[in-house]
Amino acid sequence: MSDVIVLNLFQFGAVYLLLLIVLGIMKKCKINQSKLLVIGSIRMTVQLVLAGFVLTYLFKNPHPVFVIIYLILMIGMAIHTVLSRNKGINSKFSVIVAVSLSATGLLVIAFFILGVVGVSFFNPQYTIPISGMIIGNAMTGVSLGLKTFNESIKTQKMKIDTLINIGATPKSILIPFVNKALETALLPTLNSMVGMGVISLPGMMTGQILSGTLPTTAILYQIAIMIAITVVTCLAVFCSLFFGYRTLYNSQNQMLI
Amino acid sequence: MDIFSVTNVNFKNILKYSNIKIKENKTTFLSGKSGTGKSTLLKILNASVPTGSGTVLYYGKPIEKHNTIMLRKEVMLASQNVFLFDDTIQNNFLEYYRYRETTPPGIKKMQEFLHICVADFPLDAKCSQLSGGERQRVFIAICLSFMPRALMLDEPTSALDGHTANELIKNLKNYCKENSITLIVVCHDKNLVELYADEVTNLNSEV
Repeated sequence: MSDVIVLNLFQFGAVYLLLLIVLGIMKKCKINQSKLLVIGSIRMTVQLVLAGFVLTYLFKNPHPVFVIIYLILMIGMAIHTVLSRNKGINSKFSVIVAVSLSATGLLVIAFFILGVVGVSFFNPQYTIPISGMIIGNAMTGVSLGLKTFNESIKTQKMKIDTLINIGATPKSILIPFVNKALETALLPTLNSMVGMGVISLPGMMTGQILSGTLPTTAILYQIAIMIAITVVTCLAVFCSLFFGYRTLYNSQNQMLI
Repeated sequence: MDIFSVTNVNFKNILKYSNIKIKENKTTFLSGKSGTGKSTLLKILNASVPTGSGTVLYYGKPIEKHNTIMLRKEVMLASQNVFLFDDTIQNNFLEYYRYRETTPPGIKKMQEFLHICVADFPLDAKCSQLSGGERQRVFIAICLSFMPRALMLDEPTSALDGHTANELIKNLKNYCKENSITLIVVCHDKNLVELYADEVTNLNSEV
C-alpha cells in the first residue's frame, strides 16, 4: 500500500473555498446563520489544530497521566454538552447522567482496548481516538434520549396526572417513557449499521484506508467499533434514564415535575 | 364517621383550609369562587401533592402514613382535564385496568357503568371523536368501575347541558348510595347542589 499524500497547506486552503457555496445558499435562502458558519469553521480549525499538536506530542511522549487527563477532559466535555442541551433536569438526575455516561463509557473503552485490540490501556495511539468515538457517540445518544424523555413527559403531563389519580404507580407510568426514549436514542445507530459499507464508508474506516491500512483490517476495526458504539449508546442511555426517572417522584409517590 | 378531616392546612402560603370534614358514604358538594382551592383540595385528599403544614386525616390516620398508591386506589379523582388513550372506549377500560394491574370487567359491566354515567356509546367508539363532556363521562365510568371507597369529581357538569348534568349526578348519587361510596363533587350549579347534596362545604368562608 502507498503512503498517504500529505496535504500541502496551499492545496488545503482550497477546501475552505467550498464553504463559500454554503454561505451563498444561506444568503439566498435567508438563513440567518452565516455567523454560526464562520464561528463554527474557525472553532473547528483551531480546535483540530490544537488537537493535532497535542496528539503528536502525546504519541511521542506517551505517559499514563496524559491519557488519564485526556480522558477526564473528554468525558467532562461530553457531560457538560449533554447537560447544557438538557437544561431543567433536576440535580440528582444530572448526577446520574454524569455517572452513567462516565461509567459505561469507561467500561466499553476498557473492554475494547484491553479485550478486543489487546494493547495497554495507556497506549495513547489506540485509547485516545477510540475513546473519542465511543464517548462522542454515547454523548449524542444520551442527549437525544434525555431530550425525547423530557419532551414526551412535558407534553403528556395530563396522562401522567390522570394515571397518578387512578392509583397507578409512578414506575408503571414512567417506564413506558423510558423505553420509548431509549428506542429513539438507539435508532440512528441501528440505522447507520444497516447502510454501512453500501451507502457510506464510515469515517474511521476511510481514515485507516487513506493512511494505508489494508481494507480487510480496516473493516475489522470498523465492525468492532460499531458494535462498541451500539453497546455504549444502549448502556449509557439505559442507565441514565432507568436510574434517572426515579428522581421525578418522591417517597409519597408525588410527581415532582 | 369522617372519611376525611382537614385541619389548619396551609398549602404553599396560597391556600388555607382551617377545618373541613367530609362524611363517609355521603354526597358532599364543594363550592366556592374560582381560586378558593377546590381542585387543590381534591389533590391534597388523594395525596398527589404534598400537604404542606397542617394535618389531613383519612379514616382518622394521617394521610402521609398511608400507602399513597393504596389511598389513590381507594379515593379516585377524576379531574377536569381527563386523559383518554387514543383508542376505543373498550380499550381504554383495558388500558386503565392494565395500569392498575387488575382484571378488567366484562363487556356487560362496562356498558352498565357507561349507562350510569349517561355515556351509552358503543364500546368500539373512538375516544378521539367524543366531545369534552362525553370524554369526561367515559372517564368517570372507568373510575366508578374500579369500585373505589370514594370518588372525587372535579366539575363533572361544567361541559354538560342541564338535562344531562342532572341525569349524571342523579345516577351517580344513587349508585354511590347503594354501594357505600363517598361522593365528593366540585360543582357550581346551585340547582344540582340543592337537589343532590347531603353535605355542602363552602370554601369561600375558609380563606
